Amino acid sequence: MKSADYASSQYICLERDNMNTPKIVCQNISKIFIQKGTQRVHVLQDISLEVRDNEFLVILGPGQCGKSTLLRIIAGLETPSEGTVLLDGQTVTKPGPDRGLVFQSYMLFAWRTVMGNVEMGPKLNGVPKAERRKIAQHYINLVGLQKFENHYPHQLSGGMKQRVGIARAYANGPQVMLLDEPFGQLDAQTRIFMEQETERIWQTEKRTVLFVTNNIDEAIFLADRIVSLEGKLPGRMASVYDIDLPRPREHTDMKFLHLRQMITDASTLTL
Amino acid sequence: MSAMIKQPTNSGTGDRAIANEVQEAVGEKKPMTIYRVITNEYFLYCVSTVTFLLVWQVIGQSDMFKGALASPVQVVLRFDRMLTDTLAGLTLWGHIWASTSRVLIGFALASAFAIPIGLFMALNPYVDAIIKPVFDIFKPMPPIAWVSIAILWFGIGEPSKIFIIVIGTFVPCLLNAYTGIRLIEPELYDVVKVLGGNRRDEIIQVSFPASFPAIFAGLQISLSNAWTCVLAAELVASRSGLGFIIVQGMKMSDTSLVIGGMVIIAIVAWTTSLLVIILEKLVCPWKRKLEGF
Repeated sequence: MKSADYASSQYICLERDNMNTPKIVCQNISKIFIQKGTQRVHVLQDISLEVRDNEFLVILGPGQCGKSTLLRIIAGLETPSEGTVLLDGQTVTKPGPDRGLVFQSYMLFAWRTVMGNVEMGPKLNGVPKAERRKIAQHYINLVGLQKFENHYPHQLSGGMKQRVGIARAYANGPQVMLLDEPFGQLDAQTRIFMEQETERIWQTEKRTVLFVTNNIDEAIFLADRIVSLEGKLPGRMASVYDIDLPRPREHTDMKFLHLRQMITDASTLTL
Repeated sequence: MSAMIKQPTNSGTGDRAIANEVQEAVGEKKPMTIYRVITNEYFLYCVSTVTFLLVWQVIGQSDMFKGALASPVQVVLRFDRMLTDTLAGLTLWGHIWASTSRVLIGFALASAFAIPIGLFMALNPYVDAIIKPVFDIFKPMPPIAWVSIAILWFGIGEPSKIFIIVIGTFVPCLLNAYTGIRLIEPELYDVVKVLGGNRRDEIIQVSFPASFPAIFAGLQISLSNAWTCVLAAELVASRSGLGFIIVQGMKMSDTSLVIGGMVIIAIVAWTTSLLVIILEKLVCPWKRKLEGF
């Protein structure tokens, strides 16, 4: 019944993997921002995709292609101008604790310690103190920040800050993790290390993940599937790649490099 | 793959570098050379302070200003006498307390009203739209401009002085609370939303704590304004306070009293601002340590 809607999207391949029901379905999403009253900025056009349960989906695109907006729409922080987002069949209208969001610029509460940041989600949802401490401690340990519970964010390095960001999102018990260019501010070496950590964490605590990035290597290293967007506004879907390399992946693996070449060639970046 | 990476070998220069690091970490004393002493920061502080006092002393003792510049020694002796003698029925401590209590009362009154109003304005656009135009009329008015009207309204007693201090401290308190909230990264509110919080959570968990540093910066400015205002008020009309001491010194051509009054104001004002800094450290333990006061 729903496939009629999808037919309008020429890119998506629906028949693949029907075993899992989709966790998230985006139907023909468009977004137009209105700037200064009259100016219309068309950011997203006709995006249709579905994310399977426990799938690691990477949305790949260069800067200013609307990929962050798409993530914010799925998070419920923006409403689409057209189209709907379904999470477990329910239309998304506002943010909710079933989706955890990790921000590019960390967005930690500077006035709270690592523990205070991580336990914020359970705290806002009325979890008693002892219990939320236990939950927070579990995720602090998971991201490898034990012994840093009482540090304030400004005492941490960039990579550690984003670990806190990830732990904070996880501690709220979301079914879906949304990561918006989480390692964009890190140096190249820390970034690769954090990608390995992300994979480890995801393997330990499986969630459906939507990961936005502009880095092709990062996308291939992490993704079950890559959805690439066109490199100009309005953002449209360009192509979908299934990445079936065994994990953990090697950046220097021949297949890895072939994929990298293929995706690089396919991307239409116009300066 | 990792087999291909060569481990750094422990030989030659490598050893020496490590040894140096250890030395630094332990904090082993470097030899005291004359060069290191005279380039020492604290040594230079002492040199400049002592030189300043010496030059002042020499000029004060000479006839250059015809006795209009008291030397540091004269100032200290004069104020040693002030500790026991009275001026208009009060010792030095009495005058210090007279000024300080005015500053503290005015400062407390102003911040108790200005900070909540500033926060309200920043959080609610309707409150902002109603209060801002009126506030903008009063904002650029120098607080000293209110001295005359204060005396006409409240006489020359305590209320007029406190009124002027309230006027002088109100604006920076309100402005900083207001901008403190306005400058908060909007995405921080998104964090609360995504974690399942409502508008009330956003205000309590983000708006208030994030605006504390700006509020404290406003309190610092307010406090120094308060001292300016109390001085102005006391210079115009009063029977007590540090401003009164200065005026008396001027009337009696006693420059040691005037200069001493100025120095004591500086010391007391600095002490009160230190109290605000300590309070800030207690309320905002997350704030990065800033160099200097």
